[in-house]
Amino acid sequence: MPLIPNVGRDTFKIKFILIIITLFLWMGVFLHLFPVWYMFITSIKPYQETFKFPPTLWTREPTFIVYKLIYRITEQGSNVAGGGYGINYPFYVYLKNSFIITGGTMAIQIPVTALLAYSVSKLYTFRWSRFLFLLCIGLLMVPGTVSIIPRYLIIAHFPFPTRQIPNIPFTNIKFPNYKLINTYWGIILPAGFSAFNFLLFKGSFDAIPDELLNAARLDGASEFSIFRRIVLPISKPIFAVVAYFTFSSAWNQFLWPLIVLTKNKMYPLAVTLYRFQHTLMHQRGEMPTDPASLALLNQGIGINGLMGMSIIESIPVFIMFLIFREYLMTGIKIRGLK
Amino acid sequence: MKAKKDKERRFLQKKRVAWFFGIPGLIFVIIFGWYPLITGFYVSVSEISIFRPPEFVGLTNFKYFLDDYVFYTALRNVLYYSFLRIALTFLLPILVAILLMEMKKNVIRVMMILWFIPVASMAGILIWRWFYDIDYGLLNGILCTLGLPTLRWLEDPRLAMLCLVLPGLIMYGPGLIYIATIQSIPDELYEAAELEGAGLWQKIWHITLPRIRPIMAVMLILAIIGGMQIFSQPYILTEGGPARATYSVVMYIYDLGFQSYKYGLGTALAIILFFIIMALVVLQRKLLPENIDR
Repeated sequence: MPLIPNVGRDTFKIKFILIIITLFLWMGVFLHLFPVWYMFITSIKPYQETFKFPPTLWTREPTFIVYKLIYRITEQGSNVAGGGYGINYPFYVYLKNSFIITGGTMAIQIPVTALLAYSVSKLYTFRWSRFLFLLCIGLLMVPGTVSIIPRYLIIAHFPFPTRQIPNIPFTNIKFPNYKLINTYWGIILPAGFSAFNFLLFKGSFDAIPDELLNAARLDGASEFSIFRRIVLPISKPIFAVVAYFTFSSAWNQFLWPLIVLTKNKMYPLAVTLYRFQHTLMHQRGEMPTDPASLALLNQGIGINGLMGMSIIESIPVFIMFLIFREYLMTGIKIRGLK
Repeated sequence: MKAKKDKERRFLQKKRVAWFFGIPGLIFVIIFGWYPLITGFYVSVSEISIFRPPEFVGLTNFKYFLDDYVFYTALRNVLYYSFLRIALTFLLPILVAILLMEMKKNVIRVMMILWFIPVASMAGILIWRWFYDIDYGLLNGILCTLGLPTLRWLEDPRLAMLCLVLPGLIMYGPGLIYIATIQSIPDELYEAAELEGAGLWQKIWHITLPRIRPIMAVMLILAIIGGMQIFSQPYILTEGGPARATYSVVMYIYDLGFQSYKYGLGTALAIILFFIIMALVVLQRKLLPENIDR
């Protein structure tokens, strides 16, 4: 409404402008939804039809064989499990991995970050809270990829960055250290604190008036019950927004699992899909050499399989979007960066 | 007297609870935030190999990149990518957000929901890989149907980088954060401007833009930081090719660290990248201050 006045809306020129704008916007919506449609239609095409040129936007003989990969993989495929590229296990294995990683990240990151943000915002004395705020926000200044190698080295023999583990003083016993490579902890723990979500939480907690909390304190409420009874209910929108962000960033992360995990059985969906497409795109036109993908091709699963898996990978994100939609649209105002 | 004592007790309890709430987070901040960063400086000046204890080598790792043509190629690529992405796709979400406000309330709602239906990011990249396919891809299919010559897309060194930016250009949508800000501008301002005879462009220029300017500055910084660290798109779509035309700095870090196990070199490169990004951010803030009038 703001730009084009309500009064002159029926003149020809303004009507024309409005129609152009409307078309432009719907076009944008269409272009966003089209890839999803194309992904879906490709996933139900028979294998041969995916290589038709020019490609069709519809299929005559839909087949849902691709979606059987969720719970089943060819016998030949499971024989070569552990070796080679692509998918060597039924798809639910990778789905489960993704859920473990994402669930673990959410279960640790959200409470840890929220509690720290709350205490920095409301509980510490001024000087402490200033110092701790800078300590947390400083991390936001440094891009994540900068510390990726040292983080890997630390994870490799946690908490020491090199193989040379020092002895406990005055003894001959080495300090305990843990190899977190090839474990889900190696992915979940480094994501235990998020500076960005800290900022969101703090901005939201800052907006809660101190008088409200002080009044509750005068009434004799303990700090715990203040947090639980007053702060949590007020902050529902920001928790929803952060939950959605945390979910999608944990679900979509690619580089870090690629580095930390080396066992095919442990890969989350993103890495599996990448390796699957890597195999497919590299042996197009010639027969595949590794038995797992050969078995898949014999079943009529190629690029349509990849697209089907993409659809499946997107479904949880979509469900989370539906759950938190209301808060994302309205509660987004809280996202002010200052 | 009693009140004072009570107050003191409260204060103590608050302090105790503060640390109780804060300690878990602080442990994570220190162990997984600052500790790797500090370790990074140590790793960058050492040579770390599996068999020998780490060895201090001074600035050798940094000097290595002075005449390393791969580094210069990668750096040029990410600068070009960031420039291209900002030039082509930075203003579009703002324009769409402004135009979206002209629609009726329920239309806005429907459009927003359809717009923000998410796809997993790997799936979003993979579908573009299939769109770009030379032999069976949709884009070449469209070109072919129109009777135009087909292109080699990701395999054409001149086109490859553009292909990485193109999804952002084609799939335009409003920026959520811009919508939030524009919504908070009171309508009276526009009405007042109208009474004074301001046209459409003048309203955008004098009312809307000044208010989203600080957010634009922040988004620009984020775009630079993100663009310089591009990894997934080139890694998946082009694998850095053709002929290193899309090879990015983070891909180089990844290759050094996790393919050739040269941890010192990789970390040194990461630190160099950090300082380059910092320099760009500082430059950006100098050129485009957040508040012009204050």
